[in-house]
Amino acid sequence: MTAIDLTDDAVVIIGSGAGGGTLAYELTKRGIPVVVLEAGGYLHNEDYVNDEWEAFNQMAWLDPRTTSGSWRIARDFPNLPAWIVKAVGGTTTHWSGATPRFKAHEFAARSTYGRIDGANLADWPITLAEMEPYYDKAEIAMGSTHVHGRKPLPANNNYTVFANGAKERGYTHYSTGPYATNAEEYDGRPASIQDGFNFQGDKNKSKWSTLVREIPRAEATGLLDLRPNSHVVQITHDASGRADAVLYLDSEGNLHRQAAQLVAVAANSIETPRLLLQSASPMFPDGLANSSGQVGRNYMRHTTGSVYARFDKPVNMYRGETMAGVIADESKHDPDRGFAGGYYLETISLGPAFLASFVEPGAWGRDFTEILDAYRNTAGLWIVGEDMPQESNRITLNTSVTDKNGLPVPNVHFDDHKNDAAMREHGYTQAELLYDAVGSIGAHRTPPYPSTHNLGTSRMSEKPQDGVVDRWGRTHDVPNLFVSDGSQFTTGAAANPTLTIVALAIRQAEYIADQLKTGGI
Amino acid sequence: MVFPAKYPQLNETELTDEARSVLIRVIRVAFPHPNFPDAPYERTADTILAEAATSTWFRVAITQGLLTLAHFAGGDFRELNDDDATKVLRRIEATEFFGFVRRTTVLNLYDNKDVWDALGYEGPSFDKGGYINRGFDDLDWLPAALIEESPDATPLVEIASNVPLSSTRPTAPVASAARDTSNQPGPREAEMAEVKK
Repeated sequence: MTAIDLTDDAVVIIGSGAGGGTLAYELTKRGIPVVVLEAGGYLHNEDYVNDEWEAFNQMAWLDPRTTSGSWRIARDFPNLPAWIVKAVGGTTTHWSGATPRFKAHEFAARSTYGRIDGANLADWPITLAEMEPYYDKAEIAMGSTHVHGRKPLPANNNYTVFANGAKERGYTHYSTGPYATNAEEYDGRPASIQDGFNFQGDKNKSKWSTLVREIPRAEATGLLDLRPNSHVVQITHDASGRADAVLYLDSEGNLHRQAAQLVAVAANSIETPRLLLQSASPMFPDGLANSSGQVGRNYMRHTTGSVYARFDKPVNMYRGETMAGVIADESKHDPDRGFAGGYYLETISLGPAFLASFVEPGAWGRDFTEILDAYRNTAGLWIVGEDMPQESNRITLNTSVTDKNGLPVPNVHFDDHKNDAAMREHGYTQAELLYDAVGSIGAHRTPPYPSTHNLGTSRMSEKPQDGVVDRWGRTHDVPNLFVSDGSQFTTGAAANPTLTIVALAIRQAEYIADQLKTGGI
Repeated sequence: MVFPAKYPQLNETELTDEARSVLIRVIRVAFPHPNFPDAPYERTADTILAEAATSTWFRVAITQGLLTLAHFAGGDFRELNDDDATKVLRRIEATEFFGFVRRTTVLNLYDNKDVWDALGYEGPSFDKGGYINRGFDDLDWLPAALIEESPDATPLVEIASNVPLSSTRPTAPVASAARDTSNQPGPREAEMAEVKK
């Protein structure tokens, strides 16, 4: 590994997940040295454990956060608004693997859905047509099944229930993918052994993550200076308003200053705006790159929910790839259902420990224990759909609560939009009907888990007054500052976001490399 | 935290064996699993007691909660039948005591192999080669399902044909009155269902 001097004006990437890890590889591949500052430690696949709570405590971002708003998380898990990872590879080590693309109209939500009261909808400044080549590259990099000649994963038990229900309900767009886990050896990594622990990191390396692909390849170029346990606290700028350095804490709490030629923030959609807000200065009094006032706003988490259905025969849903089952029929935009936008239904499974904690937080008694008693005979699915960006759903700095370094913790405020609530209700109903169609004897509607899809808090916009970054993820206000994660999302679409984050990062890397070469930055 | 300051001797209080057995009964009644052995309930009670030992507030809450149970039971809580015991717990479910017991139980009772065995969960699998040869696809009461979209499926219509598209169709068509929307759970409040000029 190359050591880049603290005083060298470096290309600095903050975060090593889907956005940061991909950007690091794509830049080093083009001969550009980069420093990657990763807040978490360097876990490897062999470190992971097949145990839900142990893995959670090993991988999750557990730094204190606070919550407010009418979402249930603020009551049930007030200090755990999001379920994301603090380690090299970021949340790509925890994600399950579903890789649907955005649809054309989902890049034009405002134009397609019209004005929706209370929603801060906007069109993306880019189109599906522009993104298609990058979707191709991302799918090939990630080894998405069902596309580019990649074999589909076989049906597991949970999928067999799900797909039979889909068929009975007249759905026709269901399959075991696209899913970025190998059904057969690909890209130097083995086929899935269906161990059922991909939320826990995937010891087998069959699942794509930047930990197994982009980071080691970037290291192999000799141009990556990866610094784990490096928590960035501020981006500083010079008198002209250009970013000039990054201040970060090492694991002992010592502060370091890395000089920077260019900074790309990819710290996930809570920490990215937190960092920009912490970087406020007299020139940027409301936070770095926040002349629009949109930094931290329009926080989206997808409209989600689960249905766990009981049968009179065994399912054993925990065996096999957790989310290798997707129904796309409801991902269309059809306002006659009572809401704008669409949603996917995807298989999901939790072990008893997590099911007990998340299936109905706060519940007890026989209604609760019969859910657990039926564990063996239970099938599960997840609703994941587009939620409405709202200006009031927002990351702010909570100056009355500090973390161990004395930094203000982020507060996450969220209220469902009525469109979100209507979509979730529809999803619950469709899911119950699906399971009823194959003989379900009971089902439970599980509320959203702590958010895994955190989006929108530094959004992309055509005009500087409407958002934080331009069509390349470059901030409107600071020419050498980029946002490279899901914070860029103008709207959330129905699709799981990782594929789009990776595609955007590949595209952004091309742009940055070109700009560095031509002096455009 | 006024109470423990006024009665500092509470810091020395060790909960009695009787208190432990009441706690076990509370957990059994609140989280009834007919096929669970006693061990997981006893272990969970001990976890709660161990956590209480580290926190004055929890210890105060437990002491008060156990006393309250006796008041509501009109004697020994352990002598109530399941239904009556559940009623007592419903009356105290909003208390600090019950919240502490519930949270700690949910986090610990289900995180152990004896409970997993009783529920039919097999635990760690990587070291056994996953489930690729151990039944990930052994469900036999439904037919095999397609794993790829049927080639006969018509392409997904991404935008329903009745949607007023502000970009392409500025005057909105009215949705057909005959359309079956009976699967809708609630009133239609979405903006785009309105007709606008």
